[in-house]
Amino acid sequence: MDALSAVLQGLPMTITLTLSAFAIGIVGAIPVAVGLSSPKLPIRLASRLFVDFVRGVPIIVWLFLLKFGIQIGTFKFNPVGAAIVGLGVVSVAYLAEIYRGGLQAVPRGQGEAADALGLTRGTAFYSIMVPQAFRIVSPSIATYLTGLLKDSSIASTIIVTEMVFQSQAFARQHPTVEGILPYILVGVIYIALSLPVAYISRRLDSRMRKAVYA
Amino acid sequence: MTLAQIADGQLAPRLGIKLDNISKRYGDHVVLDDVSLHVEPGTVTALIGPSGAGKSTFLRCINLLERPDSGTIQVAQHTIQPGKDVNSRDLAALRRTVGMVFQSFNLFPHMSALKNISFPQQKVLGRSKEEADERSMQLLERVGLKDKAHQHPSRCSGGQQQRIAIARALALNPGIMLFDEPTSALDPEVGLEVLAVMRELAADGMTMIVVTHEMQFARDVSDTLVVMADCRIIEQGDPRAIMSDPQETRTRRFLRAVLER
Repeated sequence: MDALSAVLQGLPMTITLTLSAFAIGIVGAIPVAVGLSSPKLPIRLASRLFVDFVRGVPIIVWLFLLKFGIQIGTFKFNPVGAAIVGLGVVSVAYLAEIYRGGLQAVPRGQGEAADALGLTRGTAFYSIMVPQAFRIVSPSIATYLTGLLKDSSIASTIIVTEMVFQSQAFARQHPTVEGILPYILVGVIYIALSLPVAYISRRLDSRMRKAVYA
Repeated sequence: MTLAQIADGQLAPRLGIKLDNISKRYGDHVVLDDVSLHVEPGTVTALIGPSGAGKSTFLRCINLLERPDSGTIQVAQHTIQPGKDVNSRDLAALRRTVGMVFQSFNLFPHMSALKNISFPQQKVLGRSKEEADERSMQLLERVGLKDKAHQHPSRCSGGQQQRIAIARALALNPGIMLFDEPTSALDPEVGLEVLAVMRELAADGMTMIVVTHEMQFARDVSDTLVVMADCRIIEQGDPRAIMSDPQETRTRRFLRAVLER
């Protein structure tokens, strides 16, 4: 059971990385999504550039750039900081695209009705558009979260001591058949972590559907 | 209490509206060509005509859901020139004065019927939740849907949804109501319950502008019939007179198509 305890040592870090990056993404994506659907061309263009630029580069490259490529005065990213910021910024870009899709999927008549009633832009956005968009995109967000959980393993490449890093360390110290064991264990743990997310998301989705559309 | 009195709440004044020289184009495509219409307080104006004539666009220009390229809108001491910058105070006043009912209802699907009607009152008129709910219930009762108050729109039939939508618009005490083909998405039978509510509203003296294909309603209920074709108003006047003796050949052709089918 050495292998299991070695892998489990990385579990808190994996969860920290995933949830921190996800939190940054969930909040940070809101202004970007608004920018993506802005009627003003420069804003739309800038948001679009940001999203495509961030998504166009592999996460591993972002992490190396942040970890080794950035020095402002005496400030340098530590591995965990670089991983959280890197995964966070990538999440902002992906989730912004998901949000934008959701907002555009809300029927146009909804915004027109809000306008005709004299609701302000802000009220229409937060009370009419966002709740409907959220119902549309909540499954996609859950899918992204499970993806992010697994992508957090890329942080092992910049020496963040999460689960995959711990598995590798254990494997290196046990270059026998036993060395394969931590990888099997880590795989099972990732599955065990993904399942509840998928389950909760399905429950949430069907409950919202029942409440509104049934 | 009549529907309009409930709609009034504190008895909003009956308002008229003057639209002058409204023009609208999308690129090179002209949609409205210098259209003017004056509506007297407390009257019902029916807007008919072939599809593509610009009826709906014209109606949507009245509350600036579409922004005309030029023209003047005068309502409740406000003069708005949509071709120029419209300040937010005038726009808010216009939208508060003018209620609108859509062909596709556009109720908010994530809110109950009651909240659909109460939420705008709270946000636009600053009413408390209790005040708003009380009025919403009055209106729901009036359109015969009190028992649907806590249902979401998707649990209601099209006709019920449209009546809820009418209640939602009335709850804000509009001086003028716009109807954009309110029965076109409904079965003919279900449409009747919506028309009944509209007739009642008209009888109570609400100023109404109605884009419709319901000729019977246009003839019986409206005070003025306006015929639009090719982006212009080609004829307007007493509905019975126009229907029995249209002056324009285009009107005659259209009426023959809708009345003698």
